[in-house]
Amino acid sequence: MREVGIVGVGHTKFGKSGVPFGHLLSLAAVEALDDAGIIPGEGHGVDQVIVASMGAGMINRQHGVASALVDSLNLRPAMAETVENGPASGASAVKLAFMAIASGMADVALVVGGEMMRVVSGWEATDFVATMLHPEAEYNYGLTLPALAGMFTRLCMEKYGIAETDLARVAVKNHANAMHNPVAHIQLVPDLAAITTDEDALIINPYVAEPLHVYDVCPVSDGSAALVLCALDIAARFKHKPIKIAGIGQATDTHAVAERAVPTDLLAVRLAAAKAYAMAGLQPEDVDVAELHDAFAILEIVEAEEVGFFPRGQGHLAVRSGATEIGGKIPINTSGGLKAKGHPLGATGVSQLVELTRQLRGEAGGRQVVGAKTGLAVNFGGFGNNVVATILTKGEE
Amino acid sequence: MPIEMSAYKCTNCGQLHHPAHFVCVKCGGREFEPIPLDEEATLVTYTRVYNLPEGYMKPFISFGIARFNNGLCIAGQLETEHPAAGMKLRATVGTVKEGIGQDYLGLIFHAID
Repeated sequence: MREVGIVGVGHTKFGKSGVPFGHLLSLAAVEALDDAGIIPGEGHGVDQVIVASMGAGMINRQHGVASALVDSLNLRPAMAETVENGPASGASAVKLAFMAIASGMADVALVVGGEMMRVVSGWEATDFVATMLHPEAEYNYGLTLPALAGMFTRLCMEKYGIAETDLARVAVKNHANAMHNPVAHIQLVPDLAAITTDEDALIINPYVAEPLHVYDVCPVSDGSAALVLCALDIAARFKHKPIKIAGIGQATDTHAVAERAVPTDLLAVRLAAAKAYAMAGLQPEDVDVAELHDAFAILEIVEAEEVGFFPRGQGHLAVRSGATEIGGKIPINTSGGLKAKGHPLGATGVSQLVELTRQLRGEAGGRQVVGAKTGLAVNFGGFGNNVVATILTKGEE
Repeated sequence: MPIEMSAYKCTNCGQLHHPAHFVCVKCGGREFEPIPLDEEATLVTYTRVYNLPEGYMKPFISFGIARFNNGLCIAGQLETEHPAAGMKLRATVGTVKEGIGQDYLGLIFHAID
């Protein structure tokens, strides 16, 4: 199997897009192509283009998005596919591009993740995202992702002694990180007391799905992110030294959340991470920086436990101690995470790897983890029923 | 005749499922028979949701996951003012979503006084 690395990154500012969906995808794509030093047109050398999007067909009324993007970017006759795997679409697309290169079928691949969700109302967006739930056992009841997260959070709070303030601490940390990330959706750091214990906390931070408040939940964002992948044996063609994709793991869990044997576990996260560690020949303690899928604050805490950073039930204690802050034992969500950077579904898994690439290149500015050589990303689909973990490593200097 | 919700029992090994599966999670069997769910269950966890999806003209809905005596855990709507984990519930069947030309039936849990 050929080794694969990342030689180009691109990322739009997440938030509300003012351009058509295809244009939004193209913005990140051309930035990544430029970053790699690829000139579209004859002899461009891109063999494969994969677009990740969950809602292109349902929200934007566009299918065959990858085919359209290839033409728009003048990358014909590259192979092209669009991938839909819920909120894990981005990392799934990277996995498929990795497989295309590792197999020898392609030398160079462009992966673009994008979503434009803010063209519909909040309740339409909530409904659209909920269509990934079990149709008869969940969706038809009006259950949504926040509803499942609320019930999961309550179980974890009761079992492990997690307080609402611990969830808010995750939000404050990630918002603070986002202040150093120019592409983050929200550039604001909430005051911990103002959103938790002050007299009017429930007014500025009302419940969304008890016990989750507004600041425990990611925003609805538009945005796109892109990566150029290549075989390491041809990486010398490109401007940047490659960041190696050292390991990828993926696992699934029950579709209906209520069926899970241990309702406080995120089994697919644990299994996906274990596969990625095994493929990379690394351990949790080797990871210097992580992007964990914090669509809800509780997920960052439990995912950090499931990937082996902390023992079960102690993730919230790590947050209290500052271990997950930049400068701490294992900085998590230096980009601001989904919580503050934003969560354009199909873009998120790609965006996480853009952030890790920037960290391993040493290009993360005010949020840089000094000396970072290994990064882990967890991209979480459904409510944990399809999870992709990816490990990136920096080569020797 | 009251409307019932069912568990799905594998005719080969007896494993119960809800929702329906195409292949038994225990033995790989592919034939199931519907078994009516008990009326009583125990609340495992719950939430009250304020940002509802399209199609619900209410300020909030409460949801819960309940464990039935047969061991199955199932989600449903929750109609009790003061939910608490471990409380006993009565499982009924009612309209959980009003659709265009079609209403959807599902489990609605009530507190047992």
